[in-house]
Amino acid sequence: MLKQKIEGIKSESLEKIKKSASERELYDIKVKYLGRNGSLTKILKNLKNLSPEKRRVAGPVANQVRRDIKEACQNKKKELAEQVDWEKEKIDVTLPGRKTETGHLHPITLVQRDIEKIFTSMGFKIADGPEIESDWYNFTALNFPQDHPARDMQDTFWVKNNKEKFVLRTHTSPVQVRFMKENKPPLKVIIPGRVFRNEATDATHEHTLHQFEALVVGDDVSVGHFKYIVQEFFTQFFSKETKIRLRPCYFPFTEPSFEFDINCTVCNGKGCPSCKGGGWLEIGGAGMVSQNVFAVAGYPKNKYQGFAWGFGLERLAMMKYKINDIRLFHGGDLRFIQQF
Amino acid sequence: MPIQIADIINMRAFELEDTRKAGSDTQLEFNILPNRGHDALSHVGMAREICAVEGRKFFPRFGLGNVPRPNLGFGLKVEIKDKNLCQRYIGAVIENIKINPSPKWLQQKLIACGIKPINNIVDITNYVMLETGQPLHAFDIKKTTGNIIVRKAKRGEKIKLLDEKIYELNENNLVIADSEKPIALAGVMGGSKSSVTEKTKTIILESANFNAKNIRKTRTALGLQTESSYRFEREIDPNLAEIGAARAIELLQEYGGKNAKIAAIADTYPKKLKPWTIKLNSEYVNNLLGEKIEILRMEKILERLGMKVKQSEKLLNCEIPTRRLDLVTEEDLIEEIGRIYGYENIREFAPKMELSVPLENAKRNFEHKIRDVMTALGFSEVYNYSFYGVKEIENFRLELKNHIEVANPMNPDQQYMRWSLMPNLVKAVRINLKNFEKFSLFEIGRKFFYEKNKIPQEKTILASALVNPSAKNNLFFKLKSKLEFLLDHLGYKNTKYEILNTKYLFWHSSRTARITLHGKELGYIGEIDPAVLKKYNISCRVAAFGLKIDELLTLPRAEKIYHPISKFPTVERDISMFVGEKVLYADIEKKIRNAGGKLVLGVELFDVFEKEGVKSLALRLKIGSSAKTLTSAEIEAVMKKIISTLEKELKVKVRK
Repeated sequence: MLKQKIEGIKSESLEKIKKSASERELYDIKVKYLGRNGSLTKILKNLKNLSPEKRRVAGPVANQVRRDIKEACQNKKKELAEQVDWEKEKIDVTLPGRKTETGHLHPITLVQRDIEKIFTSMGFKIADGPEIESDWYNFTALNFPQDHPARDMQDTFWVKNNKEKFVLRTHTSPVQVRFMKENKPPLKVIIPGRVFRNEATDATHEHTLHQFEALVVGDDVSVGHFKYIVQEFFTQFFSKETKIRLRPCYFPFTEPSFEFDINCTVCNGKGCPSCKGGGWLEIGGAGMVSQNVFAVAGYPKNKYQGFAWGFGLERLAMMKYKINDIRLFHGGDLRFIQQF
Repeated sequence: MPIQIADIINMRAFELEDTRKAGSDTQLEFNILPNRGHDALSHVGMAREICAVEGRKFFPRFGLGNVPRPNLGFGLKVEIKDKNLCQRYIGAVIENIKINPSPKWLQQKLIACGIKPINNIVDITNYVMLETGQPLHAFDIKKTTGNIIVRKAKRGEKIKLLDEKIYELNENNLVIADSEKPIALAGVMGGSKSSVTEKTKTIILESANFNAKNIRKTRTALGLQTESSYRFEREIDPNLAEIGAARAIELLQEYGGKNAKIAAIADTYPKKLKPWTIKLNSEYVNNLLGEKIEILRMEKILERLGMKVKQSEKLLNCEIPTRRLDLVTEEDLIEEIGRIYGYENIREFAPKMELSVPLENAKRNFEHKIRDVMTALGFSEVYNYSFYGVKEIENFRLELKNHIEVANPMNPDQQYMRWSLMPNLVKAVRINLKNFEKFSLFEIGRKFFYEKNKIPQEKTILASALVNPSAKNNLFFKLKSKLEFLLDHLGYKNTKYEILNTKYLFWHSSRTARITLHGKELGYIGEIDPAVLKKYNISCRVAAFGLKIDELLTLPRAEKIYHPISKFPTVERDISMFVGEKVLYADIEKKIRNAGGKLVLGVELFDVFEKEGVKSLALRLKIGSSAKTLTSAEIEAVMKKIISTLEKELKVKVRK
């Protein structure tokens, strides 16, 4: 009977100690069981009034429980002392983060990276060429006859040089020839880079531009392949199904030549102010590589077929980021750059 | 209907430029591609094209036939001196002309096409040009000696043209002359003196063919572009001259005066241009287009474009009408088939290509890595122009003769290709100072220069600038720490910074270092000379560096190799010292490492201060061995050696 009572005190007191939340509370618990008038103390004091047999049973149990309670109190006290004051720790987590100095990449760089990534994943190499290019590579090698009105289409910056004729390259196409001279088909290459046009600047015209060019040459490369790759590229680039269409055009270094449009990315081809209601956006030029250009590159005539296409990175960046003034790209203004 | 035509032409032939209402008519403007100037710069040409794309046969409303050649009493004497520059000359003398305004319908058509009506004769020549594409001219025979000589101009020869301006000519220019004087600048503009006036009774009508290159050269040299030169410089079929003349004579007889009639005619055409044949392989057509078009369909398309086609098995033998000077190769014909068939009807399909991982472009990857590190370090990327003006060359103390000059710049500010990226970067700094107090920029771009052989060269440069007024005297070091991080991150160890201490270009004479690695110069880091900045109204300090990316790429980059973490303890020992003005930190560190040898595991500067002209440095050394635990005696010995070396060799005073 007495033993049960002691066990009851033990479980009850340990439970209370466990739940106590402050030192004050813990103290009260200790007093309640072990204080001068504590319930366990009373039992201990009364031990001497018990019969020897009963005392032999109850004595050690009561003393053990007293030690257990004491130890539990001590442990709990230590635990409570180490507890953090959460109130004092309080911060306003909605305050903004401390500023880290961060830089921003130019939007043309971002677009160029996107393009490079899509094409390298399709197995294209990346090639580069000089920005000051010989007249020969920029025009002659690309089948532009001397004095042909087609050279009017390329309003060109010429370099003052009495030795040889040099231009600030008007397109990245000369690198086609440079690359083909060094590499044999089948080949897949892209050429991003800076080009120059001698024209006055305004919101839609710049004399310094960035272009991108793709060249695929093989035994049976066709217009059908070209359409496939262009569609694949734009679908990836804009992350949505993009339709393309080809219209006849003229470039001396491709035959047939096309101008290509994509369905308007703003209205998906329904017609809106961005596409002047037509549903299509004019993007760039392309065509099947002329056999004359293959000949210049040192390939045997009529052995290979290939396509080349190119477009402006500024135009693509303007579409992607809804930039309305082309002069911003070379304006150097951080208020523009920092948005990317 | 006009809109449908516009759409189909847009997709099959020429880009639609503009659509306008002209009364009850709709006027469509197309951009004729440069290689179709031979045949499509006329209403007949466009009508023929529309029929071809719509799959219809073309029936002209008037005869595109021959000039009537009545048996005439006297001839017109035409002499072509240079047959390469004038392939054909038809001259028709028409008498009993009566000058009047031309009929209303004709005037309206000219106005709609942007040509001012003048009188019946001039209007007819212009109208026939628009209609057939053949430029024509009419001379008043009374103001000539009555004969035609086509010849090169003499050097210094002068002529007053219809624009009432006098032009001085040379032997590059072709003129129409009589026995005494030039009467027209061939293919470009007629002479003022021989022009048709109200009093004109008899004219010589000219329908000729001139060399495209020569016309282009002349009109560029003289800055004269006319409807006539525009067509001639795109090269016209000499057989068109006859069609144009016939049509003009027909109209002149109707509207040029009641009794207008041909009095004489001459046609000098030494080398007749005949149709040529292209053998087209129908399999190649389908191969290049990636489509299965039936040979019969190809034949139909080509025939509607005016070709005579004979099929023999897979081959199509195509006789090309002489107006289609652009059609020479098989591919030219494949384009004709492709566009009329409709590119939208060509199905797209994936190319069969072997699977291969493309070789990476090492330089591109390197540049992209630099961009990533630079932006992580807080720099924003700008793209600046590749040129600047003589002002920048002077302001930045660059050498004019090193610069590549643009022959036809937009303006003087863009006359030279940049030899350095810094001038334009500093201009970008100026722009941003309006809105920001503290910022950093970088650009990766090319600089241009001449090698000895006068061949333009270019190199890729990383240029960077830092503005931070709160950094005060530490601006250089703020930037240097970023440069050090960049180079370290790219794998370049042991970069050296050599003090410059001389005037070099735009750099601050006493706050600039040459950056070298393995004995190669990589570039410079320093402050921009405040005197240079002042020219751009920049009053704050600007620190900058330029790095040669191509050079960097040639240098070995440290491989990352794991060094076992030492099992033995290292200790830290501080040394503070007073140093003389001329002592360089680089030398101090070198002496410490030499004296301490392998036991010096690290040297770190943690304090610098100057007081009353005395500089004090505090360094923390890491001492340890990879082979054992050093005893305190050993540590003291090495420290003693270091200190005595510093004191002896650099005359520093170590604070005890």
